[in-house]
Amino acid sequence: MTRQADIVTTTDVPRPYYVPLGNEEQVFTAAFRRRLSVVLKGPTGCGKTRFVEAMAHDLGRPLITVACHDDLTTADLVGRFLLRGGETEWVDGPLTRAVREGAICYLDEVVEARQDTTVVLHPLADHRRQLPIERLGITLDAAPGFCLVVSYNPGYQSILKDLKDSTRQRMVAIELGFPPPEVEEEVVAHEAGIERAQARELVRLGQAIRRLETAGLREVASTRVLIAAGQLIADGLPPREAALAAVAGPLTDDATVTRGLLEMIDVYLAGSPSGEGDGRRRGED
Amino acid sequence: MRRDEGNSEDLGRLGLLASALASRTLQVAPGESGQPAWTDGRVVFVDAGESPREQLEALTVQASLLAAGSLDPDVVRRLTRRPVLARRYLAVEAHRALAAIEDRLPRTLCSLVDRDVAARADSPAASLTTARSREALADPPDSFGTIRPRPLLASLDQARGSKPGQQVPSEPGSRLPAELAEGEVDDGIVTDLFSSPVGGGGSLGRLLGRLLRAVRRLGGGGPPGADAPTHRTRTPTPGGPGTAFSTATAQTADPTGAEARGLKYPEWDVHERRYRPEWCMVREVEPRSKDVEPFVVSDRYGLRRPLARLGMGLDTCHRQAQGDDIDIDAAVEARVEMMAGSAPEEAVYLDSLRRRRDLAVLLLLDVSGSTAEPGATGQTVHEQQRGVAAALTVSLHEIGDRVALYAFHSQGRSAVHLVPVKRFDDDLDALVMRRLRGLVPGAYSRLGAAIRHAGAVLKDRGATSRRLLVVLSDGLAYDHGYEPAYGAADARRALAEARSQGVGCLCLSIGASTDVEALGRVFGSAAHATIPRPEQLGHVIGPLFRSALRSAEVRRRVTR
Repeated sequence: MTRQADIVTTTDVPRPYYVPLGNEEQVFTAAFRRRLSVVLKGPTGCGKTRFVEAMAHDLGRPLITVACHDDLTTADLVGRFLLRGGETEWVDGPLTRAVREGAICYLDEVVEARQDTTVVLHPLADHRRQLPIERLGITLDAAPGFCLVVSYNPGYQSILKDLKDSTRQRMVAIELGFPPPEVEEEVVAHEAGIERAQARELVRLGQAIRRLETAGLREVASTRVLIAAGQLIADGLPPREAALAAVAGPLTDDATVTRGLLEMIDVYLAGSPSGEGDGRRRGED
Repeated sequence: MRRDEGNSEDLGRLGLLASALASRTLQVAPGESGQPAWTDGRVVFVDAGESPREQLEALTVQASLLAAGSLDPDVVRRLTRRPVLARRYLAVEAHRALAAIEDRLPRTLCSLVDRDVAARADSPAASLTTARSREALADPPDSFGTIRPRPLLASLDQARGSKPGQQVPSEPGSRLPAELAEGEVDDGIVTDLFSSPVGGGGSLGRLLGRLLRAVRRLGGGGPPGADAPTHRTRTPTPGGPGTAFSTATAQTADPTGAEARGLKYPEWDVHERRYRPEWCMVREVEPRSKDVEPFVVSDRYGLRRPLARLGMGLDTCHRQAQGDDIDIDAAVEARVEMMAGSAPEEAVYLDSLRRRRDLAVLLLLDVSGSTAEPGATGQTVHEQQRGVAAALTVSLHEIGDRVALYAFHSQGRSAVHLVPVKRFDDDLDALVMRRLRGLVPGAYSRLGAAIRHAGAVLKDRGATSRRLLVVLSDGLAYDHGYEPAYGAADARRALAEARSQGVGCLCLSIGASTDVEALGRVFGSAAHATIPRPEQLGHVIGPLFRSALRSAEVRRRVTR
């Protein structure tokens, strides 16, 4: 079985870079202390995963991340018997490991998981904090540092009712969005290692794309793609090519939309330090 | 610098940029050669012969005027037939608008803003006052273009009757106060009441045109008027909507004949907060299929791949290389083989995999008169919906799902007609495509009754555990005694009933001009989406289907 889980131990590594936008860090810390589960809401690439990493670091807990997909079964989370030689051997799933070790278990894009799978979270997410393991016939009590965090991307138009109410109501919700321009500039400049002025151009482009509402884009330009574009620029690529590869390409396959985006990239990145395009200024006044 | 003629199609590429600047959907099209740029609120017309820089500036100015509320009808109305005032207004207001959205402008265009001029006014009204005063004002640069009040107002009026792609600018600063915005929405409903149900733009002329067209189609004998028939029909089944049907056809599949006589369904009366029992008579009428060319499915919009993963039943599969549990039989055999000295089979697990198709989909196609209106792309809404219905039917059929396609329209509560283009057990053949081609939009849409009948058909004939009802409609529920507010409430109720019976509901509005809020009123909490162009369907159909199916699954478990 494929394992999407990985453990990040948080000792002696610098805090992952995260700039708070509001009170999300306080809410998370309070929820963690009071042993409440957390649901993070926000668009793709706005920093949900980074936020959890930073919080795990602050709280000094290991972080176990599971990327959910629509064939994720309960056994993938809880564990299963394997045959080794002539013996059966129980192998803990990522959720069971987190429960035993008192880790923060982060289920990324939890709506993607099958609904019968998310039900296993219910006794864990409320006051019981228990994980029943049917196949072993035992019920585990969660270790003190255990915290369940799920993320959820309110998707297209009215299909946001995806997460079941019974699941939602067991969680404390933290809503994350794209940061305001100044913060996003800082984030892009820091993460990509580029000049602040260059980051500003990228962020303006990103915000222009976010204002488009019906352009046939799969998603808007996230902070993540802006950082990727910045990283390409930092590695020596011209801004236009970097933005085409990291912003326009991932967002659409449609040739017409790509041409439109390219036009926007040309205009918004024309004044970039190493940019091409016509940097001609108006000769008035 | 003048570029060659190929330039004009390039202008379309600037549409995204214009939309991003204006925070609303804008297109860019070539205007008359040598004329200054202008906008009608939906399209920015720029001279294709100008240099790219000039085009860019014109576009930016016009888009910022729209974004900053400079072209709101109240202001523009005062500029009609006063070109000098309009020009002076533009000279002040353009700079104010550019300054207002300066944080959105690319750096190369920030130089357009003249802060001294921008500082003279803080609102469109103030700019107008300045323009009216005797103050000396420099003419705006040619590249700023011009304001053409009349086409702009015409387009805005049209837009307020709920027009395609009307996005409200999302910047709070550039909006009307909330209460005014509310008023606009209400206006929209009232306009619907008078215009859309009869399918015209609200003018008597168009209504007459529509009525005459319906008469022409009557019967097979020929036209009542002097015109030659556009197409001759010799079918024994009367084809025109709005005519009386004899429905006791021999072809009716139901042996009891109940469907031929018609079925009565209740209707939700939102004013009385109760059902009106046995209120609507729903009949299935045989579709016109003779002497019609089969409908050709030209484009499947890439639906097959996203649909293929949906609606699969979970099967427990034995002898898998990996899985949730150990397959005891396989494990024993493997052990025996190993003891016997041969290489054991390693596939000893049980896994639950999605292999079995388990989905019945009923597509309900709105063929009321309002769908004959031209949509955003030039094709009528009906043509676009029909194309999508065909693409969905073919794609689902090929994947192996059970699929049915019914069209509906109504003429009062006693004549809600559903046209079975393809029943669940029909083969997908040329006959189905001929029936689809033979559909002609007309009459009204009593959405609730049609949904109730479709739900009943799905339950009786669907024969799978997952059932999905897809309503393709422009979202205008209207009929005799079925005004929009009442109709919307009834349709919402009918969808909720279907969901409570374990039928997933998905409402798609393809290329229609109905705004999202109006759709929300009609379709309620059912998954619904407005898709401006059919080509975009492929991107969203997967999540939409999945969401609709899930909402029904939850309820199915509860009711079991």
